[in-house]
Amino acid sequence: MRKGAPLGARLKRAASNIGFGFAVFVIVSPAILVMLWMLSLSLKNEVDNLAFPPVFIPNPPTLANFLDVFEKNSFDLYFMNSLIVSGVSTLVAILVGVPAGYGIAKAQAHKIAVLTLIARITPGLSYLIPLYILFQWIGLTGTVWPIVITHLVLTVPIFIYVMIGFFESQPPDLEEAALIDGCTLWQAFRYVALPLARPGIVVGAILSIIFSWNNFIFGAVLGGRTTRTLPVAVFNMLTFEQLAWGPLAAAALLVTAPVLILTLFIQKEIVGGLTAGGVKGG
Amino acid sequence: MEDGKKTVTRRMALKVGAGAAGVFAMPAIMKTATAQTGGFNWKKFAGQSIEVSLTLGPRADVLRRHEKEFTELTGIKVGSEAVPEQQHRQQVVIQFNSGSPQFDVLTVAWHVQKRLVGKSKWLADMKPLLADSALTAPDYDFPDFTAGGLRWATQGDGRMDTLPLNIDPWMIYWNKELFAAKGLAFPKTFEEVVMAAEKLTDKASGQYGWVSRGLKNANVPVWTSFMLGHDMDPVNPKTVALQTTTPEAIAAAEYYKKLNKDFAPPGTVGFNWNESQTSFSQGKIGMWLDGIGFAPPLEDPTKSKVVGKVGYAVMPQGPKSRNSATFGDGIGIPAASKKKEAAYLYCQWATSKLMCARLLQSGGGSPCRASSYTDKDTIAGLKLPREWLTCLQESTSIGRPGLPEIVPVTEFRDVFGVGLTNTIGGADAKTELTKATEAFTPVLQKSEAS
Amino acid sequence: MTQAALGEKTSSADAVTAQKPGFNRNYLPFAYPALAITAAVIVFPWLFTIYMSFYDWKIGQAREFVGFANFTKLATDARFIESIGHTLYFTALAVILPVIFGTIAALLFNERFPLRGLFRAIFILPMMATPVAVALVWTMMFHPQLGVLNYLLSLVGIPPQLWVYSPATVIPSLVAVEVWHWTPLVMLIVLGGLASVPVEPYESAKIDGASAWQMFRHITLPLIMPFILVAIVIRMIDALKAFDTIFVITSGGPGTASETINIYLYLQAFSFYNIGYASAVTIVFFILIIVLTLVLLYLRQKAKWT
Repeated sequence: MRKGAPLGARLKRAASNIGFGFAVFVIVSPAILVMLWMLSLSLKNEVDNLAFPPVFIPNPPTLANFLDVFEKNSFDLYFMNSLIVSGVSTLVAILVGVPAGYGIAKAQAHKIAVLTLIARITPGLSYLIPLYILFQWIGLTGTVWPIVITHLVLTVPIFIYVMIGFFESQPPDLEEAALIDGCTLWQAFRYVALPLARPGIVVGAILSIIFSWNNFIFGAVLGGRTTRTLPVAVFNMLTFEQLAWGPLAAAALLVTAPVLILTLFIQKEIVGGLTAGGVKGG
Repeated sequence: MEDGKKTVTRRMALKVGAGAAGVFAMPAIMKTATAQTGGFNWKKFAGQSIEVSLTLGPRADVLRRHEKEFTELTGIKVGSEAVPEQQHRQQVVIQFNSGSPQFDVLTVAWHVQKRLVGKSKWLADMKPLLADSALTAPDYDFPDFTAGGLRWATQGDGRMDTLPLNIDPWMIYWNKELFAAKGLAFPKTFEEVVMAAEKLTDKASGQYGWVSRGLKNANVPVWTSFMLGHDMDPVNPKTVALQTTTPEAIAAAEYYKKLNKDFAPPGTVGFNWNESQTSFSQGKIGMWLDGIGFAPPLEDPTKSKVVGKVGYAVMPQGPKSRNSATFGDGIGIPAASKKKEAAYLYCQWATSKLMCARLLQSGGGSPCRASSYTDKDTIAGLKLPREWLTCLQESTSIGRPGLPEIVPVTEFRDVFGVGLTNTIGGADAKTELTKATEAFTPVLQKSEAS
Repeated sequence: MTQAALGEKTSSADAVTAQKPGFNRNYLPFAYPALAITAAVIVFPWLFTIYMSFYDWKIGQAREFVGFANFTKLATDARFIESIGHTLYFTALAVILPVIFGTIAALLFNERFPLRGLFRAIFILPMMATPVAVALVWTMMFHPQLGVLNYLLSLVGIPPQLWVYSPATVIPSLVAVEVWHWTPLVMLIVLGGLASVPVEPYESAKIDGASAWQMFRHITLPLIMPFILVAIVIRMIDALKAFDTIFVITSGGPGTASETINIYLYLQAFSFYNIGYASAVTIVFFILIIVLTLVLLYLRQKAKWT
């Protein structure tokens, strides 16, 4: 606003700013309020949790719920399982998904990407019984590997999708130069395109870890007592004795906190990666 | 696996020698659990580890609380977990069907799974194990088991594939304070139950006369409780024909509908036993119909607002009969388990006099041993009021299975459960039962045919 | 990376392409490992499903070849048809609402304002949260007597609702959770579109005296419509398949009021163990999703041309 602008215009501008701010506030509140409520539930004792009208600020706040969760469940084991499952399936997805995204982007062969779309459309449940039978036949049941392999259905398509979008938005000049200099396609990829692809890989990895971490149904059916993942563990707490809201909220918080923290730190890259893919129109 | 077996054999050889010497050196009858008589030895399979799969609930609580004692007694490591009911039953079927279940011991809900496990012969027969004196503790006292428990545990073809763990009769918990405030005595008939529920309901103050399960699948026992009072079983035990559209079945559904629709707190359509329990424990509910094993949290001052105010009443008289719907659990060993002996020790321990006494004392269920109810020490150690125990004994004496003994019980509970839930929303009881019966008849026919 | 760039290259880089016949084909091997894995993890289950759909196999009973009987049974299965209705109702709401709110959010976040990064980070949190975990929190919030939502309603004088405990309100309540969960995804997609919108049309519109609404309606909206359509397609596929949230909160209840096709599939496969029948449900479900997706993609193509 230029100095000396008429008062009416300035007020109008102020009002529209306030209106804008209000709109932002309204649109962001549901997100933060639910998270805060989860936090509140987990820090209150049972009497406060079952009180009505609800108590918002824990008084006094207590860590008993979190201790309860760790005592009654092997949360460290489930955490490790989730880590292994998400980590390994993401790693494999990087190894095969980055070259695949590159190849499909360069060859403009989007028809092949349809296969990954089919992976996305297929109801997750339909994978489970045949794969369970297969794993049992191979002798892998009782280990964490069936869950890892099944999660590839989630992580590989994500990588392919993100990397296609990424590589398509890269100018091909450097690789062209390398090819003219006599590099093979693989060398051009490995030494020229790949180092530049790091931002895309980071985004893909984060999204892949998050969606694998959050997955429930695969771990629920394929996981056993020692091999289940965190979301399954927290679901099993649902009908624990009575409505134990405190421990339940504490468990929910523990399960989702890692991905939330990851999101907060890397939100810029996530936004960048998803909108870049969006530009390409999927 | 193989090494474990070899070690056991060597150890067994050593111990038998020591045991034999022991027999001559010690008195013949030993009441302590570390008896080493005639080849039986709790520590025979020490060093092995077994997987125990339990259904989440009061029984699992008792077993897991004392798990360490078992390991001390036998040297067998236990990896146990308690899975919520519906998931547990699903997991069990999937695992058995895969041919190699991941557990060595599991609890079996007779009222749901008995025919299923029996038909497919998934479990090991207990009879040879019981007859083997090298594997059965001398003080196990098999004749102590009640006839009712043994009947549940034995299949139609004579195999006994589980050991009796618990019988769960249904009864009515009632809030003495709320009743007294309205000058009401506990009702004696079904009609009186409805009248009492009505008098106790005051929606303005959030007080309700009734609560019971409304969640589909879990809610069927509430309906069958009323059906038994009309002297009608959901499925005829002899002809295996559905009797779910008889006037008695419909009348029972009408009771279910009236109580849950008009006199129960909003939201009961989503209630299983734990939500009902929480509701009742908050002190604003007059009556709660459910299994007797859910009492302990009600008398826990850290969880309940009705400590000391809970009445334990036997199911009232129905128009034609007075019965308490009963359900039961056994504990069994998969036939495919490679650690049957160690698993059998666990099953024995779980159904031993000591553990049965503990189950009774904690109020988590009713063991299938006659001695548990007569032993003075057990009774003295009861954590719940005496009224609970008398209610339990009376209910068991008028017990009658609350679910049909067929294979597709889960589907039965689901199909009829959905219909019952719909009645709470106002649907007509007769229509819903007819619809459900139509849907379920082919399922039952197919399952009986194969 | 547009047609223009390619055009330049083909004219000046004939030498390069001459050295590499079959330019396109050489890149495909890069994709082989990924395709192999995807095929392996998808193809076998699909073959199994198709095979099983022609059988009547209930775990514990014998397998029996029944041809198309499963499919004809599905056509007359009242519960299945009801589940289609629930699925479409749920999906319609779960697509339209996030798209509207997400677009509005994208418009807001397209502007520069202080702490935009922080607000944006908070805004996308729901999308990243573990569905099972937040579904449990929502279950607690939905509780008719003790839940915080009814309390908030009472503060503004609205009577307590039954939320997921009544057949009439259960699907809208579940949609509310979906909207909360996935609006950020729509926002991100549309935001990407907004970022690529050129500035000139606005400047000329302002010179012509257009109002903010007119500029949005006639400039912004047509330009971001392709992105909104992408969001609609993605949301539709996800909403049709929604499982975790519904399973955790209501399991298809009360009764069957929120039983979608996917929940019904779970029931048949894992509660009733009708593997053959469940396979048939899978196939019909898949076809339904494909058909709806193709319809939307066709509409998107039309939008691209105009």
